Parts: sequence; structure tokens; C-alpha cells
Amino acid sequence: MSCFDPVPPRHSFAVLSLRRHLAALPSADFLAWCSPMNVVARHLVLLVGLLVSFALLFVGAGVAIPLAEWDLVDIASEGGTALLAALWCLIVLCSRPDGRVTRLLAGGLACIMLGSWADCLDEAFDIDKSALWDNALEGLLPFGMLVLTAGMYYWRHEQANLSEHMRKRERLFRSHRPFDRITQLADAAYLREQLRRESGNGQPCALVLFDIDDFHRINREHGHAEGDRALQAVAHMLLLNLRNDDLLCRYAGDRFAVLMPGLTQPEGDSAARHLCHMVGTMRHHAGSRRVPLTLRHGCADAHGAPDALLAGLCRQMDAV
Amino acid sequence: MIAWQPASEASIPARLQPALALEYGRSHDLPDAALLRETGLAGGPAPDALVSPAQYLQLLANTLRALDSPDTSFMLGQLMLPGHDGAASHALVQAPNLRVLLETLCRFHARLTPLLRPRFETWDGVALLYWVDAYGAPSLRPALVEMHMTALVALCRWLGGERLPWRFCFNRGAPRHIEQHQVHLGADLRFGCQLDAMLVDAAWLDRPWPRASEMASRLAQHAAGSEPARAPGLPAALYDYLLEHVREAPTLERTASDFGVSPATFKRQLLRHHTHFQGELDQVRTHVALWLFQVRRADNEEVARYLGFHDAANFRRSFKRWTGLTPGPIRAAIDGELGWFARLSGA
Repeated sequence: MSCFDPVPPRHSFAVLSLRRHLAALPSADFLAWCSPMNVVARHLVLLVGLLVSFALLFVGAGVAIPLAEWDLVDIASEGGTALLAALWCLIVLCSRPDGRVTRLLAGGLACIMLGSWADCLDEAFDIDKSALWDNALEGLLPFGMLVLTAGMYYWRHEQANLSEHMRKRERLFRSHRPFDRITQLADAAYLREQLRRESGNGQPCALVLFDIDDFHRINREHGHAEGDRALQAVAHMLLLNLRNDDLLCRYAGDRFAVLMPGLTQPEGDSAARHLCHMVGTMRHHAGSRRVPLTLRHGCADAHGAPDALLAGLCRQMDAV
Repeated sequence: MIAWQPASEASIPARLQPALALEYGRSHDLPDAALLRETGLAGGPAPDALVSPAQYLQLLANTLRALDSPDTSFMLGQLMLPGHDGAASHALVQAPNLRVLLETLCRFHARLTPLLRPRFETWDGVALLYWVDAYGAPSLRPALVEMHMTALVALCRWLGGERLPWRFCFNRGAPRHIEQHQVHLGADLRFGCQLDAMLVDAAWLDRPWPRASEMASRLAQHAAGSEPARAPGLPAALYDYLLEHVREAPTLERTASDFGVSPATFKRQLLRHHTHFQGELDQVRTHVALWLFQVRRADNEEVARYLGFHDAANFRRSFKRWTGLTPGPIRAAIDGELGWFARLSGA
């Protein structure tokens, strides 16, 4: 993935992959980046400033064409294109984190905006035909289209990377539900939706719940920030050991759920034991102190009403 | 005269429960402006300042709304107990078993859990702890119950070193985020009940906890008891009063005079706490009727007599008005296999 920083070799793989995930996903940083109105306002001021300075340039350099000779249809279509391109540019800037793809998309749209705007101003002001700058400005329109196309091309790459990354987290179809803030996994509502889909077909499917042993003690002794880090570490270890068809969710608190399509209950149970073993071999540290992380699990056949299935499995987890 | 604390009067040290909520919000990147909106605490409260319960409630409402995540109330609950209230918190931590812990919590509730008042009852091998609104916050009630139940469950688990087999009833319909209840509280959940309660087999009450020391506990209790007590909120004080006088058909006039104010002032004060006298009285009578059904296996006739109704038919009509259900189905549920309480005592 080209957009990531080179990672110094001293980091463990879990940290490395954690960094990757944080860099690749619309994380809390991104939300914080996007939310303040002043970001929108800043971009808006920039775009309006460009449009106004172009208008002033034309007013200064050209001769106004009498109102009666204006071609209103041309002015409306070119001016409209410029304004809509400005709006698209603003949407792109406000809805994506900064990066190559964002800059190409926004830059392309800005060029289209300026090119159309120059066209539009041409209708109202007569510029000497020999002036090269006017032709160059109109050339911004096709140039912008090329830049936008390049942006689209890299966007496609980025999307393919993201899809690969998201596969174990969302399975089959994408819905725009918010992901869990800490682990970036889907939540219990999404799991129930998937269970409903699964109960319809006749294929075997196993559902496993995992709890972290003595998780409450990590929270009490090391604080909630360390607790959150432990959740992230476990989530990544589980993700690394799942098949592509499996779905990992954060059910709630320290409970994770894995849906394993195609596996019967005994097969799911054996896969779950392997996952517990993998997490158990992990070395997790809070500061410089080692914190052992172990899991316990419960496994069931994932057919039947999701609510009853989950309630039953949760009861089983309480008894473990 | 009965001591009580109005919701508008500053009585909670800002460095205690309000600081926890504020800190939680800040750790989730929420700006102070969003957290402190409409609390009148712009700029953040000074560490040694007092905050009114109404301001604390508004702070919680802001936090819940801004985070808009189903686990917020549960996470806040994890942080809440034992708290940092010096002697009272120390007395909680030193409790040698569940019984002393619950008694300590109820004794110092105005300091430890100012927003909800816990009440502890035990009978027939069942221990019951239920939560009464202390300052009248109907819209926040479900979140407050989740928060306080989580706080107590987490504290018991920490002190006892194991998960207690609590069972929970909620005075609300089943929520969408039931997974949070299952993980933070337990799998034995029942919704649509008449009170917000947690139950456990009474055998757990006297089982000694690791690190238990009777003497340390007694000293801590004494230290906490010698500090000036804080009065409960008006709805909590009224609940206690009505429970004590429920057989004497309490009236607004009589109650107001026992609280040392005129009936008009009393009414106005209750209104400020989003409640009214009749509503509180009906709630207490519902709880007493349920208790009689459950513990005394009473029939309608006996309950009617106990609560001072003319006859069983009258009581039946009133009960329907309070709960939306006639006593019949509720008694059947208590007696029958569905019985929440019965299942526990039979276990």
C-alpha cells in the first residue's frame, strides 16, 4: 500500500499492522479532522477567492460587452458548470483525509471550475484574441479533466486495497454503519444482520464468542486507555488468524464474535481453540509491564433466531 | 423535619462523579464546549467547587448525546465505584462481603451514587437491590440505571474476584443494544418489569471475600459515619417517607408539613424534579403490592387491606392504572414458571 509510511523494523508485527489499519481507515483522527466547520469555511474561502480574483482579472484586462449582446444560455451553462465543480471540489476536500488521491481529485475539479469560469467570463468581457493567458486559462478545463482522471485511477487502487483490508470485517455486502471506534470492527447489530442472512441458507455455519479473561482487571489496574489497547491487540491477532470468509465483530465490551460460514459446530470449536491459543502466545505490554492476555470461548451452530441464539451463547459464556 | 437536597443546589464535589464524566468525554476527544453546554459550568468547574445534581445530570446527558454510542453509560459505570470520596469509598473497598458492601452503599448513597438511591431488601434466600430516582431525571433514567448497575456489578467482581450470578429486571422495554447488558451485566435479563432491580441468591451475601478484614471494615465504616451526612434528593427522600407511611394513606398536605414546607411549595418543588405527589405514591404502592405478592404470597384482598383500600375490586382497578396490568397476570408470573423471583428462590 503505497500511501503508508515506511515502518521502522523494530516494531512488532501487531503494532505494524495496527499502524496500517489506523492509516488506512477513516479513524477517529479523520473524524476530528473533518468535523470543525472552520475546515469547510477555509476551503470555501479559498475557492470563492479564486473565482473572485479571476473575475477581477477579466474586469481589469478586458472590455465589458454590452448586456444586450450577452449569450445568456452560454453564460448559464458555463457559470453553472464552474459553480457545481466548486461544490464537488468542496465535498471532496471535506469528506476525505488529505493525501495523493484527494489532492488529484480536488485539484482536477478546481481546474475544471476555473476553466469553465474563464469561459463564462469570456462571454461578458471582450479580451484581445492575441492574449495568450486567456487561451491558457481556457485550457485549464481539459487539463483539469486529465488530473481528475488520474485521481480516479489512484482512487480505484486505494479502494481495492481497502476492500481487501475490510473483507474479514464486513463480509458479502457493505453497509455504511459506523464501525466500533476502538477496534474498527463491525458491531453486534451488524452481526445480527449477518446471522439473519445465514439462517436462511442450509449451509453449516458456526458462531463463536470470545471473552478476554480478567479484562476488568486490566481496566482497573492500568486504566481504560490500556484496556482499549488490549482490545486492539486481540482484534488484530484474531484477524490475522481468520479465513477470508470469516467475520470478526466486537460484540460489546471485551466480547468478540466470529462467524465462520461453512464450518460445523465441532469444526468451529476447534478453530476457536486455535484462536485462543494464538492470542495466548501473544506478548502484550502495558508500558513496560507484561500483561498476559488469554481468551475463553463458547461455540454454537449459527442457525435459528439471532437474538435467542446470542442470548443462549452469552449465558453459556457466563457459566464458563 | 425531613432533610432533602434540591436538584438545583450545588452539593456534589466537582472533583468526584462530575470529574469522571468530564474526563471520560475529554478522553474521547469531545470539546469542553459540547460537554459543558447548558450546564452553566463554562470553562470547566474548579476542582474544589460544588456542582448541583441538575448540572451533573446535564453533563451526563451531553456526554451521552455527543458520544452517541450504546456503551457510554456502561463505560461510565465501570469508572464510578468505589469512587474517590475518601472515607465512604474506603468503606466500600474494605467491605468483607457482599452484605456489608450493599449496606455500606445504601448507607452512604447520597455521596457514592447521588443520582440513584439504592435500596437493599432480603427475604427467603433472595437478595434484592433496586434503584430509586434521587433527583427526577426521567429521560436519563435508562442510562442511569445501566450506569449504576454496571458500577455495582464491576465493583463486586473486582472485590469478590469472581462474577456473581446476578439477575436483572428493568422497568423498560427490551433495548436495541442488549449486547451491552449481556456483556457488562450478565445474560439473565428481564425487561418490562415494574422496577429496576438486581437479584442474587442470598447465599452470596455472607461469603467472605479475599482480602476481607472485619476490623479494617469496622474502622472504615466508623470513619465514614463520623463525617457529616449528605441529604438525599427530594424524590429519594419522598420515596423513603412514603414507604414508611404507605399504610396511613399519605396525603400531599400531611407529607408537605412533615417536609417542613407548604403544600404549594412542595408541589412546585416536585414539579421541578419532573414528578408529582400522586405519581410517587402510586410507584411506592406498586412496589409494596409486588412485595406482598411475592414475599407474603398475598391475594388481592390482603393487599387491598394492607394498603387501605375499601375492597379488592378497588385495589384491582388502581393497580391496573398504576402498572397497565391487572394483579392476576403479575401474580401468575410470580408464582408460575415465568416467575423471575420464584425461579431464583427455587434455584
